[in-house]
Amino acid sequence: MSYYEFFCPVKVIAGQAALEHLPYEFSSRAVKRPMVVTDKGVRNAGLLDKVLAACEEGGMDITVVYDDVPADSSKQTVTAIAKEYRKQKCDGILAIGGGSPIDTAKAVNILVSEGGDDIAQYAGSGVLKRPLKPFFVIPTTAGTGSEVTNVAVIADTEKEVKLPFASGFMLPDAAVLDPRMTLTLPPQITAATGMDAMTHSVEAFTCLAKNPLSDAYAAAAIRKISNNLLKVMEKPDDAERRLELAQASTMAGIAFSNSMVGLVHALGHSLGAACHLPHGLCMSLFLPYVLEYNLEEIREPLSELLLHLAGPEIYAMTPKSQRAEESIATIRKLRDDLHRHCGLPRTLQETGKVEKSQLDRIAQMTIDDGSIMFNPKEASLEDARAVLEKAWA
Amino acid sequence: MIRERLRPLASQAKRTYVQLMLDVVGRSLEAISQVDDEVRGEVAVLPDGFLFSMQVMPKGPALFIRKQRDGSLQYLGGSVAQRPDLSIQFKHLHHAFLVLSFQEKTAQSFANDRMLVDGDLGYAVRMTRVLNRLETFILPRLVASRAVKEYPDNLGLPEKVFSAARIYLKVAMNFVDTVRSS
Ligand SMILES: [Zn+2]
Repeated sequence: MSYYEFFCPVKVIAGQAALEHLPYEFSSRAVKRPMVVTDKGVRNAGLLDKVLAACEEGGMDITVVYDDVPADSSKQTVTAIAKEYRKQKCDGILAIGGGSPIDTAKAVNILVSEGGDDIAQYAGSGVLKRPLKPFFVIPTTAGTGSEVTNVAVIADTEKEVKLPFASGFMLPDAAVLDPRMTLTLPPQITAATGMDAMTHSVEAFTCLAKNPLSDAYAAAAIRKISNNLLKVMEKPDDAERRLELAQASTMAGIAFSNSMVGLVHALGHSLGAACHLPHGLCMSLFLPYVLEYNLEEIREPLSELLLHLAGPEIYAMTPKSQRAEESIATIRKLRDDLHRHCGLPRTLQETGKVEKSQLDRIAQMTIDDGSIMFNPKEASLEDARAVLEKAWA
Repeated sequence: MIRERLRPLASQAKRTYVQLMLDVVGRSLEAISQVDDEVRGEVAVLPDGFLFSMQVMPKGPALFIRKQRDGSLQYLGGSVAQRPDLSIQFKHLHHAFLVLSFQEKTAQSFANDRMLVDGDLGYAVRMTRVLNRLETFILPRLVASRAVKEYPDNLGLPEKVFSAARIYLKVAMNFVDTVRSS
């Protein structure tokens, strides 16, 4: 008999005019002076203005904005933002952006709630013992799912290590999904982050910690991505489908934060670090090859996923013994279509940024990545190397 | 009325078993790290003086291992005053029992939230591989294939190294029977 735990206390505020609910949500946690943590990309895309305008109209002026979070956030950034928070006497945090601003804001919240200037002292899991300051998140990429995960990674640039933080207290009070916030996401980022959400769902559904509740979220997320990702590529300003993708990303986040990910993420983290490729792209590059590698361990759940990946007709038409293979074929076809739409690379070679001589090193990094723990098949160095070889061209 | 409750026999046997098995694991790790290239390869990445522990919460049986400068592991027994660099903590005695009696795979126990990892997850992955490797040596093949995800077929270590551990194991297995029959 199996055993599992499932936890997601994040309120989800989603749909048309969701941003306009922010002032009420702030007041329900008695926040009067929130600090916005975001990056230049969000500001330049005009997304920050949309949030500020919605709050202003609702009678809440937001005046403290830190909009300089770098792509790979560091200890120093966290310290600097926390200092500003204290100086401005803020009483809550609103993160707007993709993974980096959200992770940074999570770490800032630890410092301003627990005290001190060195975030490193809170690294690890289970270090925090009490709730933090009010915290809200507006994701602007439909992919990472960081708005519902209890982890953050911050770089210690002096010691050249990545500091991991994990605690249920880091979860935000609410995540706000408004279609306006992802409407202008460029095609390649839409495709890559969509494939990240797809990978979160597929790995959640097939790895060691899968459970009935995370399965439900993962399957529903896969259905939404399969039905909407290509349509959004064709018609980027379709607000309804954009919202579908944003919801899928959050659902995938809930799924994988409760059941973890596997070898696709272990390979992807390593490739991303070695060759500086975006995380979502790395996921897309490895997903079908890892499924092939894991196939005999995951045939049953992967067969089940065909229903959500390809729809009831194809599922019914495919003989039971072929469904798992057909699931992989469907994912390959999705990658081909995305490549046609926006040039999203399908192989390591197509990225133009990976040298074959790097594969040994990437394989070595892969078997040291924490995500490999939950892969259904125990992958050795040779196994990781073989998957890399298949993903090459 | 306050009444002192006696700890049931099965629970006592479980505790003794876990204590004994942690000791077996500790001693065997020390032995295997001196002779097995695969384990030495895994351990080579750990910094010198690296302190690893497995503990049962709260304040239950534990084992402490330190990486030596010569690349081997030293078993330090069940308590060390220093905070470990990496600790694997079982949330309950019973969960430790499941893993140490090879009824639940280590990775599955992680996946089931039955244990916490404090420290670098990459090192934790390595130590899990070392523990898997160890199990394949000290256990009969049949039991080992249940305890690790995949059973390696390139085992080539002198049997005698682990005969001592096997004797321990026999004693330990008696406790499993006690627990199961109650
Ligand atoms: Zn991901």
